[in-house]
Amino acid sequence: MPLNFRVVFSSILSVFHALLSYTRFRIGLAILAVMVLLSLASLAAPPAYKRWYSYPKDRPPQLDFTTIDLLLGTTSNGRPVVYIAVNALANSLIIGVVTALIGSHIGLLVGLLSGVSKGYKESATVLLIDSFVCIPGLPLLIVLAMALKSVMTIHMLPLILSVIAWAWPARNVRSITLSVVGREMINLARFSGIKFTGIILYEVLPYVLGWHLTNFINTIIWAIGMETALAIFGLSILSEDTLGTMIYWALNYNALFRGLWWWMLPPVVMIISIFIGLYLISSSIALYLNPRLRGHA
Amino acid sequence: MNGRHSRGAATLHPFAKHLINRTLVAVVTLLIAFNISYLLLRAIPASAVDAMLAAFAQLGQRLDPEDYMKMRQTLMELFGLVGSPMDQYIMYLRRFFSLDFGPSFITFPTPAREIVGRYLPWTVGLLLVTTVISWIAGNTLGVFVSFVRNKRLSRALENVAIVLYPIPYYVLSLALIYIFAFIIPIFSLSPASIPHIRIASISDIINVALYFLRASSLPALSIIVISAFGWWFLSSRTLSISIVTEDYVSFAKLRGVDIGRIRGKYVLRSVMVPQVTALALALGNIFSGALVTEYIFAYPGLGSLLYESIILGDYPIALTILSLSIMGVIISMWLLDTVVYYVLDPRIRYAR
Repeated sequence: MPLNFRVVFSSILSVFHALLSYTRFRIGLAILAVMVLLSLASLAAPPAYKRWYSYPKDRPPQLDFTTIDLLLGTTSNGRPVVYIAVNALANSLIIGVVTALIGSHIGLLVGLLSGVSKGYKESATVLLIDSFVCIPGLPLLIVLAMALKSVMTIHMLPLILSVIAWAWPARNVRSITLSVVGREMINLARFSGIKFTGIILYEVLPYVLGWHLTNFINTIIWAIGMETALAIFGLSILSEDTLGTMIYWALNYNALFRGLWWWMLPPVVMIISIFIGLYLISSSIALYLNPRLRGHA
Repeated sequence: MNGRHSRGAATLHPFAKHLINRTLVAVVTLLIAFNISYLLLRAIPASAVDAMLAAFAQLGQRLDPEDYMKMRQTLMELFGLVGSPMDQYIMYLRRFFSLDFGPSFITFPTPAREIVGRYLPWTVGLLLVTTVISWIAGNTLGVFVSFVRNKRLSRALENVAIVLYPIPYYVLSLALIYIFAFIIPIFSLSPASIPHIRIASISDIINVALYFLRASSLPALSIIVISAFGWWFLSSRTLSISIVTEDYVSFAKLRGVDIGRIRGKYVLRSVMVPQVTALALALGNIFSGALVTEYIFAYPGLGSLLYESIILGDYPIALTILSLSIMGVIISMWLLDTVVYYVLDPRIRYAR
């Protein structure tokens, strides 16, 4: 059964059109687009922004039509907030997306296998998924990050986050798989002589993929939130700019109470907008996939 | 709780079956969680442990040589640098379940367990109060909104919830601190420390209660607002919308059952059963979020202690908090899954 890419492409396009009819989806997409554009602006940041005291310190925002360097003021280290903010946004998005790429795909695999397996294999995978779901993630990640502090890089953090991140997607994929496996068509396929991998790929996977997308987006949200939480405890990559480390340094220099709102506000606003934007998208996909959620009939 | 429903004693009562099942799951989960934490700590490269020891040597300049060697020994033991793999495993197993990770580094000869025990009641108190309030408030509101004829009100509440739900507690905490401690200074900003509790008279009890209220009101507010109006509201509304269309609810309406009774006994009751499971699953996340919130508000709980232990590289305290939180979450899940389930779900009591 070769995949017909034109059919796949046109079906994706039609789903996208259907999603666009939700106000929720349009707002989410718009917020996300703004955030991605802002993060792309990090490419334009001059290398000097990373050095301390390359600008006057504690400068409030000022509108200057010749340069955008001081658009959001400077920090107590004499670094321009506008460049820190866009770089932080880009790094946080990268951490989120890489974690989601690793974590949600492990979750997809484990969830599918758990959903179609029987007997002791099923019990074993269910126990594994459930115990990872229950383990309080933050304390475990904190101990890990404490020990790995000296060797932590922006590529390593997603790997560490993925240790926990796969469990919720796996749980979700498993429950969807179970509901699909119970249907008649699977028996029909099995009796028609389609092999195990064929059943998973062509009969089960199409139903799971939509939910996989929501899991992917939710994992991005989770990973960015977790990175921020670790950073607030001073355990992220403090030499790099992420939304979390930006909050950490702002808190560390008491920006909140010294009235340096332009330092504290951008990361908080950006985190909230990313989360809301992504959540609106993932919940509208869930709404599309499960009409029962749509509210009053 | 027992006695009333003791029929089916000859065969295994369904609740007994449920109890055995959940206990087994809890024990296995605990063992798996223990092994995961063991494996992850062993996966830390030796170079990282060296770096830890080097950072520690600087601290050691202020210490007795003897104390320093003792702390070094604890670190080497915790990260598996001494003894055979089997010894290490058994040592970690013993330490994990007795919560005995040796002396704390912050206040040297005092055991880490004792210090964590001093902060624990504050965290448990905050978590218990906020979780119960937000769970009940969110679920009740969600159910009642699903009955509201006024679509605009229901839609508006839903939109507020959708905006609140994805925000982590600690981001809202920052906003609350800014508003209530800086712009409108109602709450004090001084870092809270554990008061010297010596209960000798009634006025002492009142003082401690007042102190707790003052220290916990803002962190509690940020946790309650986010989880009640975010997750619990959204999920209970979704659940009750699908329950309202069930046959037994329509039948009750046709039979002329009082509408308040339908809402309370028919719908809210049915919503609560799956929501207890949801709460049991969410406990780990609630706990993690509360840790950060406690630190941001300088609330004298495990979160603030964890921050101090991170700064000083105090692994005994961090590991004690880790194993304590794993055990705490799993035990409270077990309680929710058995005791609360027994109270809420009549099927498990009467079914044969």
